[in-house]
Amino acid sequence: MKVLRTFVVLMIGLIGLTACQKENQGKLPILGRQEYKEVNGKLDTIYHTVPSFEFVDQDSMVVTEATFEGKVYVADFFFGTCPTICPVMKQQMLRVYERFRENPEFAILSHTIDPDHDTVAYLKDYSMRLGVEDNTVWHFVTGDKDAIYEIGSAKGYLVPVGEDEDAPGGFIHSGAFILVDKERRIRGFYDGTKAMEVDALMNDIPKLLAEYEGAGS
Amino acid sequence: MRELEARRQKTEVNSPVMLLLILLSGFLISCGSGKSSDNENVQSRLDNKELKYFSNGKRLFTQYCSNCHMENGEGLGQLIPPLKNSDYLLDDVARSARTIKYGLKGPIQVNGIEYNQPMPAHPELTSLEIMELLIYISNAWGNESEVVSLREVESALEEQ
Repeated sequence: MKVLRTFVVLMIGLIGLTACQKENQGKLPILGRQEYKEVNGKLDTIYHTVPSFEFVDQDSMVVTEATFEGKVYVADFFFGTCPTICPVMKQQMLRVYERFRENPEFAILSHTIDPDHDTVAYLKDYSMRLGVEDNTVWHFVTGDKDAIYEIGSAKGYLVPVGEDEDAPGGFIHSGAFILVDKERRIRGFYDGTKAMEVDALMNDIPKLLAEYEGAGS
Repeated sequence: MRELEARRQKTEVNSPVMLLLILLSGFLISCGSGKSSDNENVQSRLDNKELKYFSNGKRLFTQYCSNCHMENGEGLGQLIPPLKNSDYLLDDVARSARTIKYGLKGPIQVNGIEYNQPMPAHPELTSLEIMELLIYISNAWGNESEVVSLREVESALEEQ
């Protein structure tokens, strides 16, 4: 009886210890459409990657895929006058920023989807008011509207973005935070309006970085 | 003696169950977000009718306001002004009836900081709903304010 009771208590303890953690084992998935190519009789997997891009950030710096070389980064889409989910997304992204801003292998890329209104000067004011002093870690970018919508689409980050007269504020966009690895592959989508999902993102970033440890260079 | 034996057995059966309950509740607490309540104090300061307005106001706040002003009423950096401890709100609660109904454009000063983000209008909200919202935001998160009346809301809305 006593042995059984001890056993039961121990088991409950074990369950309890793991209850607060998500599955921590294993690598993050590689998302998006995959293609297979035959090379020397073997099948090679070709993963979806974010294509090349060129935008301008809040400090007038040209931002391209090269800006994120050797970094994992989180991308999102927003607009400055957004009356719906953007402020919550930015509140949550600030948590991510505060947590990882000291890490030289980490960056954030926020695209405006309203470049007519959100100019470089506007984005500078916006980011300063958020408490982001410069573009060292977090780039707020604007640019050609079509290019921004295309990078958001199935060719890039796989999220819906675009203009819609019926949507509040005139634009539709996803509230997703998209985690991208050093090979520009998408490794996770998280709802940027939910603290719990952003917690999961902050849990996954170190896991992704750990994949590069000991890989040389 | 037999009774004692029976009781002993009973406690033996019960104690793992009790332990389980205690452990489980411990995990629930440790996994919870530990948010503090936003209406400490309010129960004692407001009467039943006012508390009903307050809780309706909270529901409306979640629907219309918390995306920008945040659930904790703290706003967002220097982009979105706070409602918690906000002099702009608490100095003249009825004034904010107009802000809610008709929106706001241009800079305002809140607690000595200039904010300049437009606030959208909410023409669909009734005077009663606006009163409930105002009662909530002026009494949540440690804010303490006179309970605004429907008459005050309506006269503020009629001002030119």
